[in-house]
Amino acid sequence: MEINVNGEAHEVDVEDDMPLLWVLRDELNLTGTKYGCGIAQCGACTIHMDGLAVRPCQLKASEAKGRQITTIEGLGTPDALNAVQAAWIEHQVAQCGYCQSGQIMSAASFLKFKPNPTDEEIDYAMSANLCRCGTYPRIREAVKTAAAKLRGEV
Amino acid sequence: MKSVIKTCLLSLFIVNSMAAENSIGDKTVLNEPEAGSVSTQQGLDSWSRVYEVASHPRCANCHVGNSPYPMWSGPSFTKTQRHGMNINAGASRMGVEYIMCSTCHTGSNSEADHGAPGVKDAWRLAPVEADWFGKSSVEICQQLRDPKRNGNRTYQEIASHLGHDVILHWAWNPGGEREPAPYSLQEHMDDIMLWGVAGMPCPDDINSNLNDGVSYE
Amino acid sequence: MSQLKTITRRTFLVGSTAIAGGVAFGTYLTKKPHDNPLAENLKNGEASFNPWVLINEEKITLVVPHMDMGQGVASMQAALIAEELDLDFGQFEISFGVPAAAYFNTALASEAAPFLSADESIPAKTMRTLMSSVFKIMGLQVTGGSSSVPDSFFKLRMAGATARETLKKAASLKTGVAVEQLKTAGGHVILPDGNQLAYTELAKLASELKPLHNNELREPADWRLIGKPMQRLDVVEKSTGTLKYGIDLAFDEMLYAAVKTNPRKGAAMQSYDDSLAKKMRGVSHVIAVTNGVAVVADNTWRAFKAVDKVDCEWSEAPYPAEQADHWAEVVASFIPERLDKVWRDDGSITWSKDSYEIKSEYKAPYVAHQPLEPLNAIIKVTDERVDIWVAHQMPRFAQQKVASITGHEEEQIYLHNQYAGGSFGHRLEFENVLLAAEIAKQVQGKAIKLTFSREEDFAQDFTRQIGMASGLGGVDNGQVVSMDLSIATVSSSTSQGKRLGQATPGPDKQIVEGAWNLPYAIPNFRVSAYRVPELAPTSSWRSVGASTAGFFADCFLDELIHLAGADPLAERIRLCQDEVVKQVLITAGELSEWNKPLGPNQGRGIALVESFGVPVAEVVEVTQTDNGIKVDQVTVVADVGQVLDPVNFDNLVKGGVVWGLGHAMNSEITYADGKVQQRNYHQHEGMRMHQCPQIIVKGLENATKIRGIGEPPIPPAAPALANAIFAATGQRIREMPFNKHIKFV
Repeated sequence: MEINVNGEAHEVDVEDDMPLLWVLRDELNLTGTKYGCGIAQCGACTIHMDGLAVRPCQLKASEAKGRQITTIEGLGTPDALNAVQAAWIEHQVAQCGYCQSGQIMSAASFLKFKPNPTDEEIDYAMSANLCRCGTYPRIREAVKTAAAKLRGEV
Repeated sequence: MKSVIKTCLLSLFIVNSMAAENSIGDKTVLNEPEAGSVSTQQGLDSWSRVYEVASHPRCANCHVGNSPYPMWSGPSFTKTQRHGMNINAGASRMGVEYIMCSTCHTGSNSEADHGAPGVKDAWRLAPVEADWFGKSSVEICQQLRDPKRNGNRTYQEIASHLGHDVILHWAWNPGGEREPAPYSLQEHMDDIMLWGVAGMPCPDDINSNLNDGVSYE
Repeated sequence: MSQLKTITRRTFLVGSTAIAGGVAFGTYLTKKPHDNPLAENLKNGEASFNPWVLINEEKITLVVPHMDMGQGVASMQAALIAEELDLDFGQFEISFGVPAAAYFNTALASEAAPFLSADESIPAKTMRTLMSSVFKIMGLQVTGGSSSVPDSFFKLRMAGATARETLKKAASLKTGVAVEQLKTAGGHVILPDGNQLAYTELAKLASELKPLHNNELREPADWRLIGKPMQRLDVVEKSTGTLKYGIDLAFDEMLYAAVKTNPRKGAAMQSYDDSLAKKMRGVSHVIAVTNGVAVVADNTWRAFKAVDKVDCEWSEAPYPAEQADHWAEVVASFIPERLDKVWRDDGSITWSKDSYEIKSEYKAPYVAHQPLEPLNAIIKVTDERVDIWVAHQMPRFAQQKVASITGHEEEQIYLHNQYAGGSFGHRLEFENVLLAAEIAKQVQGKAIKLTFSREEDFAQDFTRQIGMASGLGGVDNGQVVSMDLSIATVSSSTSQGKRLGQATPGPDKQIVEGAWNLPYAIPNFRVSAYRVPELAPTSSWRSVGASTAGFFADCFLDELIHLAGADPLAERIRLCQDEVVKQVLITAGELSEWNKPLGPNQGRGIALVESFGVPVAEVVEVTQTDNGIKVDQVTVVADVGQVLDPVNFDNLVKGGVVWGLGHAMNSEITYADGKVQQRNYHQHEGMRMHQCPQIIVKGLENATKIRGIGEPPIPPAAPALANAIFAATGQRIREMPFNKHIKFV
């Protein structure tokens, strides 16, 4: 089947019900999308489908047909950072960093709807992304900075 | 912002249109009993089965009334609690404000232990009026027969809406180790029809009729 | 003024080894150095000054010997070298050290000695030196025990200085300018006329020189990097999804493996039926391995799916099948035959029956590590060699484990250490390494990536120790006068040692760590350790023994203080005999505004636990709401002697608080039918963001020794929260997880 990831069409030979996560990681070698739990508990695999956050561990490959998939690699690169990634670097959020691709993708999706979120709203939006290192205080700050960047204020 | 919402609605539309193609998994028919053929007692018996369905975790967990919090209860969970992860479906009932239900509840239904259920429709909370979680048989019954609180539906429309809404079908076919709602979708629809033809009786009508005949509050 | 800053320069000899094609400079010496592992592979014109610095004509590589599991050790260790070598971030690459005895961890050994960290007596020093030698002989290259900073602080700076001075010598020879007139900055030797020579240009010449060691280390006032906020070297990659963890690597023709082993840990598989699995798409092998079965396929998901379809018959667990029986064994352990050691006995505890005024019992459950990157390893076995790519805290042992399975010599095992997506002690174990080796031995010639499913990872995780404590105490005249704490836990050290093939003779200090070393002069103070016979296997869980004993000890002290009618902070300060620790308490009181009145449903609790030589005080504030207890704020004060990077320090402390609170509130591992009942994060999630309080962090630098901060913030978190809940509600919670007794928001 054909799957469009980060603006490129890829032909992959996989079962319809292979979770998109494993198509991305093992077939397309897009490893910025992480496997953490396989049951939508941790959020480490969060990507965007047509611009909205979705967890590819819960998404059959066939569901991605005809949709625009964006992974962390497509959100921004070290040379051309997305505002959310820039905020994450500014606040030095990462410890082990394994959850941060998913955190960033969740935040990027959330901020499209809430350009100026409060702490409480951030807690509602981001509590579904688990961080075992406990970088939550920094994530809160980085989301606010990212929001300000996206609003063009910083 | 507008374009984002458009995209969002568009993706839901795509899901919905896929739903239309794929939702025929449950073939149901609307069996209308003859008028006057169902006694009040038979109607109440039917209602008690309807209530078993409505109050079952597969249904009630997302019929949370005014609360924006889906519930986790029933045999899949060790205790009754709010949906984990601080999930808040917001006024949109589908999480647009914070994290959309569809982020995890995709068009694929996870069979895995505690995987996210999903259907080919936007996963969301039931309308505020359909406030069932933790409610009594009387409370749910009165809500369902109140046109102001049931989407202005006749009992036939209630039953036929059941036949068309794929998110409801999931309750009888939840997959994995999840306990399905009792009876079958067809039996449930038949019970609604029986209850309707019997005049939509509710268990404490004797008491409430003494007070009022109109408002079922 | 910190005593650290006046401490005399230690004599760290940084020597050299001549090798063909270049020179390995500055090998770390005590008496006789271990071989410089970089020397083996030096190409022409490359100079390796020691096991930590490699310069050739193209680039500078700094080798960081510890595994980076999120604690930022790669950046920190590179910074220590760069400080003396006058390199800026961006001018060098880093590489994780290959397993080598030269990287033996000098600091962990001294902490293993059974003396109080502050104890500088002759026997204490002698024992630390002895332990250090033992570790050196064993070549124990360990990341753990919050030891990376103390292990690195002197020797890595010394390594940088040796390289710098040798490069200056080379520049002097090349230009004829005297060494004294040369300076270094930004990766260059600077001549008096302002001309600059890049280190890379000087590498070849420097490789022909004898290294210059015995250099003076720079004064703290001259530090460019240490003590100042740094941007972590990996932060851009970790924010863009471009950092490759072990689980992300891929090789040509790589195969993917999944395992299912007996969920009754350590018990055998009796039989299995793979008829369904073998027919599944992409599956190339179904292999029996120790206690289970492995599937090799062409994609991770196909391997997961197929291994799930293998039907296995499991043997019974070698430990009690039901959780209640684990507890029963713990309860039954407060008997003289199981007394491991009386670790502290100040004054005289003489209880006659019922003469004590208070008796309390505490419980701490099994808890899992479960870092977010599941266990994995990539391995390729050929006749000539074995390559294994894995994040491991003890790479030398991992190498030996692989060799023991594949039959290769240890020198033929090439372990490529990787960035880890968290560890918390998990990557001190070998399950992934052993299973990967077993699989690859049977499927040779191709790289095979073994990934544990999260469920398998939960099922096989070696948890924290389970334990209980019983406290008896007495107060008099508003003061705590007697505290008699008996602690019974299984020995995670012994359990872990067994799997390492190491005997662990003598009493296990971890049973009472954080309790026996309370820095208080309670007139009558006894701490006794009882050893519960091994139940389910256990291991080191971030902060190890102090995560349980610290909870027991500080909570019980808090009960005594309340019984005495004293103020929890003031009484701790009064009892404290150590000036460094006292300052930690006082500062925590000031920062948290301890005496500021709270609202009617609010409460404030304090705890102080010292672990890994670091005293940490935490003040927790909670509010009782309609939806349960809300943790509002935590103030943390820790004294580590020297804060190397305030940003990373702040991040690690906050993370430690989240770890400590989250598991104390929400998480436990229990057994039923011999199997762990928690299969994924929904049953053991630690903390999520909505429960995370505001956290205020302050690092003090009064202590004389430099210490690591990865673990010490964890032990005080649980007791401070329990004490705060008591203050807010009057309810004493004496068992973790607290959500068994009270609801949290």
